[in-house]
Amino acid sequence: MLFGITLLVFLLNAVALGDPARAAMGQRADPAALERLRRDYALDRPLAVQYATWIGRLARGDLGTSFREQRPVTEVIAERLPATVRLALAATLVAVVLGVAAGTLAAVRPGSVLDHALMGAAVLGISTPVFWLGMMLALVFAVTLGWLPVSGYGGGSLAHLVLPALTLGALHTGTVARMTRASLLEVVRQDYVQTARAKGLPERVVLGKHALRNALIPVVTVIGIGLADLLVGAPLTETVFAWPGLGRLLVAAVGQRDLPVVMGAVLVFALVYVVGNLLVDLAYLLIDPRTRRAAA
Amino acid sequence: MRKAAVLTLAVVLVALAGATAPAQTPRAGGTLRAVFGSDPPTLDPAHATDTTSSAVIRQVFDGLLELDETLTPVPALARSVAVSPDGRVYTFALRPGVRFHTGRELRAADVKYSFERAARGKRPWVFEKISGAREFIKGAAGEIAGLRVVDGLRVELRLDRPFAPFLHLMAYDAAAIVPREEVEARGPGFASHPVGTGAFRFVSWRRDDQVVLERFPGHFRGPAHLERIVFRIIPAEITRFNEYRAGQLDLTDIPTGQCRSVQSDAQLRGEAAVWPTLGTHGLRFNVEKPPFNDARLRRALAHALDPTLIVERLLEGCVHPARGILPPALPGYSPAIRRLPLDRERARRLLAEAGHPGGRGLGPIPFNFNTNDLNQRIAEVLQAQLREIGIALELRRLDWAAHIKVVDDGSAVFFRQGWIADYPDPENFLTVLFHSRNIGAAGNTSRYRNPAVDRLLDEGDAMATGAARFARYHQAEQAIVDDAAWISLYHYSSRALVKRHVKGLERSALSSAPEFLAPLRKVWLDR
Repeated sequence: MLFGITLLVFLLNAVALGDPARAAMGQRADPAALERLRRDYALDRPLAVQYATWIGRLARGDLGTSFREQRPVTEVIAERLPATVRLALAATLVAVVLGVAAGTLAAVRPGSVLDHALMGAAVLGISTPVFWLGMMLALVFAVTLGWLPVSGYGGGSLAHLVLPALTLGALHTGTVARMTRASLLEVVRQDYVQTARAKGLPERVVLGKHALRNALIPVVTVIGIGLADLLVGAPLTETVFAWPGLGRLLVAAVGQRDLPVVMGAVLVFALVYVVGNLLVDLAYLLIDPRTRRAAA
Repeated sequence: MRKAAVLTLAVVLVALAGATAPAQTPRAGGTLRAVFGSDPPTLDPAHATDTTSSAVIRQVFDGLLELDETLTPVPALARSVAVSPDGRVYTFALRPGVRFHTGRELRAADVKYSFERAARGKRPWVFEKISGAREFIKGAAGEIAGLRVVDGLRVELRLDRPFAPFLHLMAYDAAAIVPREEVEARGPGFASHPVGTGAFRFVSWRRDDQVVLERFPGHFRGPAHLERIVFRIIPAEITRFNEYRAGQLDLTDIPTGQCRSVQSDAQLRGEAAVWPTLGTHGLRFNVEKPPFNDARLRRALAHALDPTLIVERLLEGCVHPARGILPPALPGYSPAIRRLPLDRERARRLLAEAGHPGGRGLGPIPFNFNTNDLNQRIAEVLQAQLREIGIALELRRLDWAAHIKVVDDGSAVFFRQGWIADYPDPENFLTVLFHSRNIGAAGNTSRYRNPAVDRLLDEGDAMATGAARFARYHQAEQAIVDDAAWISLYHYSSRALVKRHVKGLERSALSSAPEFLAPLRKVWLDR
């Protein structure tokens, strides 16, 4: 699958207008310098040769050299990866904690005012544009109240992480909350929950221990799929909050037709997606004993 | 030739060196918190092509000369320059005792090395006037023949023919001096860890986050006032504005659409500044291809367009409406240039004369522009205005890399193009954009070919600076405007916010927010 993605990206780039050497020259391009740059970038070779060279290098763990930065792509990506991972994990944490809590609260009394309020907020979270939400959060909590920094990585400080994580996590929080509620309501109707209640267990234990655990299985699936949303939302969040991550890198690289960086970044995104889904599968084993027996 | 006459220019250079004392005594220390809109692609003067890179390069490196606030070349690493009477040989005497950040002393050989290295970089045109440079750039010669080290502290540059703005080229950041041993030791890594003689030395660069510089105590002019400079990299203009309002930036640009509201804001009013810069936003045609190989049709469009709506409404009056091509802040600008006036009747007549009465037989004309909000809105205004004379525009938005491609290769017939002068001379506008020698990617994307204009430009480029030289450019400019090879919309301006405690920041016509490109060694903080 990963090879398919790289081939697709390569071919898309080949049909896209624009020349990396020309894009690197600014507005006034000297013909001799342009020609030399095309040679340096190996753009004068046939497409098939260019792709084969790239794959050959990849097999040795070499992603090539960035046209724009003239540095190994592995280095360019490795610099931004920690910031991206931090943001994605923090956003997932926001989504899981807020989403599961809101979904559970809403499910306790379906149809109540609290339920409607929480689910309304969830829909709002799903449908609010990332750029707008980020701007609003920054305006309120950073510019007006001065509680948090407006933007930046801040050398990795926690304060700098809060607003970007909330922004990126918002979309996902809504999805998780709705799924948790729906799934819990479904589970609560099952016989074993009725049995637990009949045994006289307090509602807290019934919901928290017996029902929620089973209800979480579809929620975990949503979280796995949601990783893709986090990757899609990342470039916008990173732009609003000047976060030095992979999303911004990818957007800039596409703009500059910096093909080695585009290919490398897409490959990393694809890998993250695959690994994320693998982790979800492993989480099933943890939550649902039946899958453990089936696996054994 | 050794007894070359020292021209008055050299005298002016020396006289200006110690001029302009500030009213207050500058205070030393502190960190200037500046900002960029994008990550600099490189910090290597040989490979930079953008203003963000230049903004750092100008602090870390010095050239033989630099431009002062009035855009006059003044000495930097060169103590003086002698020009031969025929205007072809420039002899630069270097200041003795200048040191690189590594402590090594500057020698004349560094100049030769730096220039030859940069000539094979991304801005070879800076050096192409030197004899033998073309051969060297193409790889046909092992060195630039006209670039000679006279002794330890003197270099001689010989030109093929006189070139009036040559001293401006020597003040340009592509001609910055680099230490050979550092370049060779670091290889491509020099672009991420630059070493020069500049007033600030490189500390760190976290990509897409920030570039940090610190004062170089051994600078030949003495230590700068600022202790440190932090350039934050913040892509969204609204975020830069918010950081400025939260007190985290000392300077930034005014976001699009906020020019008037900022100037009427009680708090920001005293911190906002708008000044003209050396750029023009224009429209161009491919004059080789139908339908715009017919000058009548181009003139018809020029007479049908009214830029005042764009200037007043879209840009809130914060830019200068354009008559000609050269911006008013450029030396050599002439207020006497006449634009083809708004006259829709004449536009309709010209259309009919060209065989397209009421726009018949033209079909929708593709108009190419590079994607951004402002360009989109301008394109919509143009579309509405041309509809009035019966011409339909089909808007084609492409990102920059694709736009420049269709513009360069001549497949775009009608397109937007902005131009910002690299150095303050009419040659850098008119010869680059309209000389037939530069057709295509080198600058003449109109593919305009007018022997009379070529001759005027060639004469102007070679003449000594003065009224007679500028007269040649005015004549050429008027001919180009009358030919409607370019339709100017407006001249650029810099829209900046600068905190009151920031003193000594130059606002020259080359200095544009948020990068500024000003020499930050003159800046100090009053707090």
